[in-house]
This record gives sequence, structure tokens and C-alpha cells, in this order.
Amino acid sequence: MNSKSLQSQADGIPFFKFLNLEVVSTTDKATTCIMPATQRLIGNSYLGNIHGGIIASCMEATASLAVFDRPRKGAPKPINLTVNYLRPAKMNPLHCRAKVIRAGRRIAFVETIAWQVDEDTPVAKGQFQFLLI
Amino acid sequence: MVDEQTSLKVDEILSLWRQRSGFHGEMKAKIIEADKNSVLLRMPFNSDFCADTEKELIHGGVLTALIDSALGLSTMLAVPGLKTLATLDMRGEYLRPAKSRSDLMVFAECYRVSRHISFNRGRVWFDGEERNQVAVGYATFALTRGPKLQVFNARENSCEQ
Repeated sequence: MNSKSLQSQADGIPFFKFLNLEVVSTTDKATTCIMPATQRLIGNSYLGNIHGGIIASCMEATASLAVFDRPRKGAPKPINLTVNYLRPAKMNPLHCRAKVIRAGRRIAFVETIAWQVDEDTPVAKGQFQFLLI
Repeated sequence: MVDEQTSLKVDEILSLWRQRSGFHGEMKAKIIEADKNSVLLRMPFNSDFCADTEKELIHGGVLTALIDSALGLSTMLAVPGLKTLATLDMRGEYLRPAKSRSDLMVFAECYRVSRHISFNRGRVWFDGEERNQVAVGYATFALTRGPKLQVFNARENSCEQ
């Protein structure tokens, strides 16, 4: 699937529209998305940071798009997630790349990284598991 | 029950929490109960938060964001003299599809506070279905202690770009 058709899939999902998630690139191994920082995604308005839960949501959305066409029918079903928050996310666009570590017949393991300035100074890293049946 | 001094602090925190904007405003979560280290919230159904075109399945990311917020509030209630808190780590398990248009309930508690770290756990279910939990979550927060809580808006639009 190319990034244009993946984008049209993403646009069909109300919550991805809410996040204004944009697919930048996609291959079999990795998918990259970008999410603009809007006022309604603020977590700590005293410090002006993106909500931590939204960072996890953006990573989960990117991770699910990375394995979007793997199930024979329906969408990948999230099983669990672990997120490490490494730095505060300022009110700037959030980049997120999801790498498919292993996708078997039933389970997919996806690792994500989210950054703002550059990939070497990540805001958060995450691990996600999806059920593909 | 909470003692009088704690109760004043609880009211102050809850009143400030209710005025939060950003994603908290979008979730429209209401505080149903609050204690010295725990909180029960109710979030109304919102079709913008759905993962399907039929608009009846809540996206997992929303559950994570809701748990994260509720766990943060339980730490604010549990730690006297808190200045700021930062999420270090969040773990969630999706126990079943979140398929319903009922209100979501979330219970969050802070079960251990050390000098620098708080440990929190929470669970989510659809109203009336507490036995069938939809998700559970755990988070740790890094605590900064100080005289004034700096988690809420100092003023409106204080963070406009």
C-alpha cells in the first residue's frame, strides 16, 4: 500500500481525523506520520506541552497503520502498549515512525519513536502489540 | 473519608482540574468521586474518538489518554506540595473491544508515592458494566515538589504559538 491510499484509509477513521494525522511515507517495514500540535491537544497548558496520552495515541495510530493491511479482514486489534516518555513535547509538529519488528499469522510487534527536533532526540518511544485476526 | 485540611486541598485541585482546556476540555470528563489518592471520572461518548466508520468503537488511544489524565489527577490528590509532574512511563492493556456508545468510567489510584516518583493504576469500563473492564493502565510520574501547583493554566491562551 502506498502512502496516498494509506492516507485515505486513515481519513476514514474519525479519531485519526481528530488528530489530523498525515501519512508521510510507508513501506512493508516502517510507516511515518506527522501530527500538527493544535490547541485541543494540549495536556499541560501551564508549560505548553502536548498531552502525554495524545503522544501515545499518535504512536498507536502510526503503529496500527504500519500493519493496517495485514489482517485478512477488519483492522488490526490493539492488545497492549508500553510507552516511555523521554522529554516534554512542545507545541510543534510531532513526527512518528513505526517499525514492524515481527508480524506473524496472529500477532504483530511494532516499535515506535516520536520526535520533534530530530530523530536522535526522541520525545517518546513505544512498543505495541496487535492481534491480526 | 478525607480530613478537613485534605478536603480543602482536594476541592482546590478539583476546581482547577475542571477548568482545564486542551485535550482535557475535549474529553469532557466529569469527576464523580475523589478521595485522598483516587478518583472516579465519567467521560461521555464522542463520535470523534471512534476507530470505525459506524462510530461505535472507541479508539484505544482515547482510553490511554483518559487513563493518563485520570492517573495524573490521582497523583495530584495523593502528593501534598506538588509543583509539577511528568509522565515517565505508561502501560496499557486492551481487554476487549471498546464497543458501546455508553459513557466511559475510569477509576484511577495512586498506590505508592516516593520522594521523586509516584506509581499509579487505573481501569476503564462502560457505565453499568464494571465487571467487564475494557482496559487497564499503569503509569509512573516524576514529581517536582514546590510551593505552588503549576499544572493548570496560569492564564487563558498562555501557550499560544
